[in-house]
Amino acid sequence: MPEIVALVAFAWSSLLLLGGGLLLLRSRDTLHRILALDVLVAFVICLLTTLSYLNDVSYYVDAALVLAILSFTATLVAARYVIRGRPF
Amino acid sequence: MDIVVDVIGAAVLFLGLSLATIGLYGLLRKPDVFHQLHASGLVTGPAVILVLLASLSTGSTAIVTSSILVIAFVLVTSSLSLHAIAQAALHRVTHRDEDDDGGDPD
Repeated sequence: MPEIVALVAFAWSSLLLLGGGLLLLRSRDTLHRILALDVLVAFVICLLTTLSYLNDVSYYVDAALVLAILSFTATLVAARYVIRGRPF
Repeated sequence: MDIVVDVIGAAVLFLGLSLATIGLYGLLRKPDVFHQLHASGLVTGPAVILVLLASLSTGSTAIVTSSILVIAFVLVTSSLSLHAIAQAALHRVTHRDEDDDGGDPD
């Protein structure tokens, strides 16, 4: 992959992350915040992947996998907390 | 042949980032959680998968295997987490009047 493509994609992902932060700041409700955090983790996965393309190393994608696992459990537990008033 | 792979990889990468931008715009515009779930499904599903799929044009085996692992994980978990959020939102809508009198007895 050419370096300019990876650089433009990295800058674009950073702007997306900025927009996700704006979404988190604008959220009024617990569910809006859970949804905004889920979307923010998707943006961070995009950012780490483009960073891995830029530097041509693979371990950023592994970090993205760990982040996806943590985000999945956090979203499930937070949604259950909204329903039952306790996590489990 | 090399330039064709590069162009296709860049096209897939920028298509994924465009889908993420469209989903973010929808999330910022729509007022309700149920409407926002629709836009959020575009970001956490196809956008992330397309960005990860562009790794096939890098030619590095380590990046491609890690990306395929993340794609398989995201395919399973993005729909599950969105379903959990939708269930919580539906529960909040249908049980709004019951929550006022001190929670459930179990």
